[in-house]
Amino acid sequence: MTGPSKVIPDLDTLPDIEEIGQIATWLAEAGVESVELSSCVGGRLRISVAPVSLPVGQGVIAQPVPQPAAVELVAAKAPFFGRLCLVRPPGEDAFAPVGSTVHKGDIVALLTLETLQVPVTAPVDGEIVEIVGRAGDLVGYGAEILKIRPGGV
Amino acid sequence: MSDRKRFDRVLIANRGEIALRIQRACRQLGLETVAVHSEADAESRHVREADVALCIGPAPAGRSYLDTDALLLAARVTGASAIHPGYGFLSENADFADAVEAAGLTFIGPTGASIRLMGDKITAKRAMRDAGVPCVPGSDGPLPASMDEVQALAAEVGFPVIVKASGGGGGRGMRVVWDAKDLAEAVTLTAKEAQQAFGNPTLYLERFMQKPRHIEIQVLCDTHGTALWLGARDCSLQRRHQKVLEEAPAPGIPPAVIAQIGARCAEACRKIGYRGAGTFEFLYEDGIFAFIEMNTRVQVEHPITEATTGIDIVCAQLKIAQGEALAIRQEEIVTHGHAIECRINAEDPFSFMPSPGTISRWDLPGGPGIRVDTHVVDGYTVQPYYDSLIGKIIGHGASREEAIARLRVALAEMRVEGVSTNLRLHQDVLADPRFQEGGVDIHYLERWLAERTTS
Repeated sequence: MTGPSKVIPDLDTLPDIEEIGQIATWLAEAGVESVELSSCVGGRLRISVAPVSLPVGQGVIAQPVPQPAAVELVAAKAPFFGRLCLVRPPGEDAFAPVGSTVHKGDIVALLTLETLQVPVTAPVDGEIVEIVGRAGDLVGYGAEILKIRPGGV
Repeated sequence: MSDRKRFDRVLIANRGEIALRIQRACRQLGLETVAVHSEADAESRHVREADVALCIGPAPAGRSYLDTDALLLAARVTGASAIHPGYGFLSENADFADAVEAAGLTFIGPTGASIRLMGDKITAKRAMRDAGVPCVPGSDGPLPASMDEVQALAAEVGFPVIVKASGGGGGRGMRVVWDAKDLAEAVTLTAKEAQQAFGNPTLYLERFMQKPRHIEIQVLCDTHGTALWLGARDCSLQRRHQKVLEEAPAPGIPPAVIAQIGARCAEACRKIGYRGAGTFEFLYEDGIFAFIEMNTRVQVEHPITEATTGIDIVCAQLKIAQGEALAIRQEEIVTHGHAIECRINAEDPFSFMPSPGTISRWDLPGGPGIRVDTHVVDGYTVQPYYDSLIGKIIGHGASREEAIARLRVALAEMRVEGVSTNLRLHQDVLADPRFQEGGVDIHYLERWLAERTTS
């Protein structure tokens, strides 16, 4: 068997049902009751395996969370906490104003803590449709900063 | 002396019931609170009620409650000038205490030096011996390299002996040796394990007490030379070295004996310049006290001492950290009645496996002498990332019998649905005739559980 890191798919897209079934079978074989995968873009997949009294395979229950529709917006979230800065220092040049397009990995905001600056990056390619965070606010880890409509740019 | 407070906003570097307990004490003293929390605890009660709440990381404690840098940055960015570490997490981390003070903040606890001294079992024992606190006969330091010398030492201490890792704790890294012929192998194995588990192969050995009780002394020390002891607790009911139920005072031990040991503990605090709340833990057997370790923080079971002495230990911690002098004297401290605490865990009552999940019903008990310390509310989700303590039910009465009776009623009226709990275990323990007699040893609960399983 290959290592799980190779076969557990990236959650940017939901794995197909055969893949989920395969993962569940491995969990049951390993005696693991459940596993939850989450992606930085907010997708979550929880797979629970029924108690082992059931024959392996038949006791497998896959419970995927609803698949985000392709048009659903994706949030860029704070990877740390800090004061939100939406413009490139020192000027007034906004990182990613509404209507602009970004590539996955582009810096879309900064979190500042004294001299420390932590970049917030775009989780996907797409168009900025909403700025959720307010500049200057103290935002916590995981807070939504802005929303992106995914799409080729 | 200045009336100016050293701090007026406290960052609570913890979660769960103790975070709420600390928050209550802060609010009572007119101090603002900063709740730093993980993503998993965003809906916690103390987070909602904090003056400032800040999510500092994801659920795993290593990236939130144990992240020293994040905590210090959070304190600065939220304007907190003091940090209360609670228990567990970073509460007994000397480097963290030092880093807090180096950042110009107040650490609500002892100095890093005190934590360091007490954190190493060998230096702690030596310091206590020097200060006149009784210790168990033993090597009084690292084991010599020569096995002949180790044999001679063990013969002098007397078998059975227990070989322990200096860096160990929580029941890990120790081995009992009943006979001289098995000593060499035990030392070799334990050293190897200690190296693997703690990165430090240093061992010590001491007399193995066979049926001791766990008795501990609560102390409170200010920065003006006052050190008080607040009576004893008996925490003998343990499972896998985790306390399950605690009581104060310790049944059957004459108050004069406790007073003598308490005075020694207070004296030791003065000698080492201890500051804040702390607990000296002892094994007690046949009238002999043997110092095990000192906990340099507030403890889970502090409410039973608060019940019997009427002293608010967490408020006292905050006042001491502000630089205030303790307003009470030793001779004014008298204990009233008897108090018992049941730790309610979200766990399977038989397998003791954690039982995370959403609590769908949470009916709490009440009535005279009943105190409930919990962060749980209806609909609360018990997280799998942290320990399973969901609340503490404390019963206080004029006598031990009254405390037990009040607690039995309280536990019987408590209703928890959605997760499994150990409520039933507590009810069974309180109904057990041997427990009711008082004075069971630290192995009693495990024996009792083993019998329950087989019968």
